[in-house]
Amino acid sequence: MFRLIHTARTLRTASQPLARASSTPLTTVWKTPTRPLPIYPRRGFASKSHSESNASSGMYALAIFVSMLGVSYAAVPLYRIFCASTGYSGTPVTDSSRFAAERLVPDAESRRIRITFESNTSDALQWSFKPELREVRVVPGETALTFYRAKNNAKEDIVGIATYNVTPYRAGQYFNKIQCFCFEEQMLRAGEEVDMPVFFFIDPDFNEDPYMKEVNTITLSYTLFNAKYAKNVVPGQRP
Amino acid sequence: MSYGRPPGVESFSGKPPALGSFPLDHEGECKDFMKEYIKCLRANKNNNGACREFSRAYLQCRMDNGLMAQDDMKNLGYQDASKQPASGEPKT
Repeated sequence: MFRLIHTARTLRTASQPLARASSTPLTTVWKTPTRPLPIYPRRGFASKSHSESNASSGMYALAIFVSMLGVSYAAVPLYRIFCASTGYSGTPVTDSSRFAAERLVPDAESRRIRITFESNTSDALQWSFKPELREVRVVPGETALTFYRAKNNAKEDIVGIATYNVTPYRAGQYFNKIQCFCFEEQMLRAGEEVDMPVFFFIDPDFNEDPYMKEVNTITLSYTLFNAKYAKNVVPGQRP
Repeated sequence: MSYGRPPGVESFSGKPPALGSFPLDHEGECKDFMKEYIKCLRANKNNNGACREFSRAYLQCRMDNGLMAQDDMKNLGYQDASKQPASGEPKT
């Protein structure tokens, strides 16, 4: 590519006049020089023809195009990995090393933290949903069990689904659940009563966080919803 | 999930549980173990450290009745209570 530009300028010495507009650079007649011409070292691509150098620059351009295309395809899983490991923009962190057996050791010197339990039900759901235990006192690293009692007061089978949140907000990152009943549909037959356990622990890193120094109470709150649409909603939209 | 919200707004993002969801105990097979555990907690001012044997027994009941995946008790945080061997195979 650069060779093409360079060919337009001939090697000028004092004996040759400036470029003649009428003749093209490639067809300039080479007159016998009157004084010695400077000798420049031969450059490697001076021996290639123009079509070859066109082809090589075309190959460079094509390679850059293909590599950018590959990078844009690779960005999708890379971004997903980045989000999963850092929890950026609300991505749930699914790092299973948090639940390694050596982290589940109760911290004997720590104070006991009070975990209180709350429950809410949506009005469209005819279940009664209450925590069996109002509070449990644990140390970080100690696994604990608690129960919620749910009773289906309606005359037909109802499917419910629960979500939860943890307050205070910053303590939520240390509240690790090993097994629970949330985010999955649970069906109760008419009139049935069942106990739903939650098995959790407070992460041992809780003690190292300066924000958590004053936190002595953590509240886990479950909200239970109806998993199916209500019967008298627009008929065409049944799932 | 939080796209479109102004930055700096704190919102709670739920983390999925490690072992998933407990199957519901429709027949109440482990209800007695649960009652024992709750009785112990009420007697000990809700101190979880005093009642770990009962919660362990409840989880053992769940495993025995097929209501929970078989797992080594060490993976569930019960390292000190190794006097009773777990009846299930260790988690692979």
